[in-house]
Amino acid sequence: MNDPRTPIPASGIAQIGVSVPNVSVRGPEVPRTIEALDPVFTVSGLSVFYGDYEAVRGVDMTIGNREITAMIGPSGCGKSTVLRCFNRMNDLIPGARAAGKILYHNEDLYGDHVDPIEVRRRIGMVFQKPNPFPKSIYDNIAYGPRVNGVKGKMDDIVEEALTKAALWDEVKDKIKQNALSLSGGQQQRLCIARAIAVKPDVILMDEPCSALDPIATTKIEDLMQELSRDYTIVIVTHNMQQAARVSDRTAFFTAEVDAEGVRHGRLVEFDETSRIFTNPSDKRTEDYITGRFG
Amino acid sequence: MSAQHLKTASGASRSLARSRPRYGEVLVKAVLMLAALVSVATTVGIVFALLEPTIEFFGEVSLGEFFGSTTWGPLFNPPAFGVWPIIVATLEITLIAIVVAVPLGLAAAIYLSEYATPRVRKIFKPVLEVLAGVPTVVFGFFALTFVTPLLRDVFPFLELEAKNGLGAGLLVGVMIIPIVASLSEDSMAAVPNGLREGSYALGASKMLTSVRVVVPAAFSGIVAAIILAISRAAGETMIVAIAGGFKSVFTLYPGDEMSTMAAFIAQAGSGDASVGSIAYKTIFAVGSLLFIMTFAMNYVSARMVQKYREVYD
Ligand SMILES: Nc1ncnc2c1ncn2[C@@H]1O[C@H](COP(=O)(O)OP(=O)(O)OP(=O)(O)O)[C@@H](O)[C@H]1O
Ligand SMILES: [Mg+2]
Repeated sequence: MNDPRTPIPASGIAQIGVSVPNVSVRGPEVPRTIEALDPVFTVSGLSVFYGDYEAVRGVDMTIGNREITAMIGPSGCGKSTVLRCFNRMNDLIPGARAAGKILYHNEDLYGDHVDPIEVRRRIGMVFQKPNPFPKSIYDNIAYGPRVNGVKGKMDDIVEEALTKAALWDEVKDKIKQNALSLSGGQQQRLCIARAIAVKPDVILMDEPCSALDPIATTKIEDLMQELSRDYTIVIVTHNMQQAARVSDRTAFFTAEVDAEGVRHGRLVEFDETSRIFTNPSDKRTEDYITGRFG
Repeated sequence: MSAQHLKTASGASRSLARSRPRYGEVLVKAVLMLAALVSVATTVGIVFALLEPTIEFFGEVSLGEFFGSTTWGPLFNPPAFGVWPIIVATLEITLIAIVVAVPLGLAAAIYLSEYATPRVRKIFKPVLEVLAGVPTVVFGFFALTFVTPLLRDVFPFLELEAKNGLGAGLLVGVMIIPIVASLSEDSMAAVPNGLREGSYALGASKMLTSVRVVVPAAFSGIVAAIILAISRAAGETMIVAIAGGFKSVFTLYPGDEMSTMAAFIAQAGSGDASVGSIAYKTIFAVGSLLFIMTFAMNYVSARMVQKYREVYD
């Protein structure tokens, strides 16, 4: 394998509390800093509102280029909410509004000139529940390129995307069959392939494995590792071992109750995954990853 | 105490048999079944009521004459039984109605389901359904006294007769818009939101998402809506009787006065055709034909839906 990365084994979880000074998640070319050197997203002071309710308050973080960033935290702490800001998916929810700043390659993602449709073309998303269109496997993949007016041989685009998503061998003989005839894990890989087919820059994944069995999960994790050579990936997960296995950096969110008794999602700690899981600096992070909170 | 107690607590000693009969359940089931039977019985009753006079009709008039001639005039002397003029008029008016109602109804449904804010939808949908409740006699007079005169002023070269297929067809179309719109909107609203999000996440616009994802996923419901609308259009009586007229000369030109099958039935039925007369039996023969046409269309389109629909779960 020529993968430069040495994933933390699942047993890394067991080492929590033990300080391991030289755990290297990536090869030496990536420095050990909290700030990604080559950020795709730079988030500062991000707050997200649903109507009057401030669901997430004051998030600062950076997403490094071709890294896998994991977002973890208890249910309702605003992980999906933050994730959906990265491709302006929240625009589609009436009353949802983001304050603060998200820079995408140094361009204000919420600037007046920005077209959310163009944003979503560059920043793809995979959802918790596999949501293939009720069309053929082929048409599912071809949908994105078609609506984006991509020229070129569609057959090749479809094959390439399915190959990258490690699904081609399983479906090449039934490419015209309805996508819903696939298994859940295959459907989710199809959704990943569908996202890849429009050649995005970033892929956002919101609990992509939560509906899948361990084998399908492993396949998707392998796929994420593979894809992170070409793509920047942000993944929300409830599975801490998954975050530990696949990600370079981890953001831990939790919900805090303010003076008026209202709950807001907060970013507690954002660091290299190895640090978060071996030597977290915040007590709440430690409690959460050791299962004392949650 | 403890052994007995434990046994009860774990439920092991209690029988699983029903402890008392549930008469309510039985009654409810019987009442519901009765209600279902009423509609089935009505349909069967209609078929039988149509059948006997229809068979008698074809004892006097040959199928060859019925389908082989284009002169229609069962109430004339001597009568003529070539049914084509009223079939063609029915098809023409239905076609005009569909051409009006499908684009407008679908557009309204897409607007309501995909674009309108919840508030607009809450106002708009009931208004649409009120339109469905307008008595058709109102549409008929509107066609006769407003639409046709307007068309004659604006397009004199069409040479519309005072009663004509076009004016009637347009208003039949307006009448069935709510059916198309409301039922299509229901099935579009039932499309899971995940499909829309999947489409938006790929950089599709709202319009593309509506047309390429939502409408295909709601296709079977939309087709069902259109079929129901066609059936209503083909059977519509009041509008065509008032605005289309009763002249049953074979014509393909919608600017002419024309009588549809339903209009003929109304005309003959409100006249003094005595029971057992040939005019009386003709009413039933035409009724059977209309029934068969609607039924066949329903059947064919149901098969079509089976074949082309996109099932989403
Ligand atoms: N569409 C919405 N309208 C109003 N409030 C919302 C909406 N979506 C989320 N919220 C609220 O925002 C908060 C954060 O929700 P979010 O879905 O981001 O949490 P999450 O961390 O992804 O949780 P989970 O792990 O359960 O998916 C919650 O309090 C939730 O009730
Ligand atoms: Mg979530």
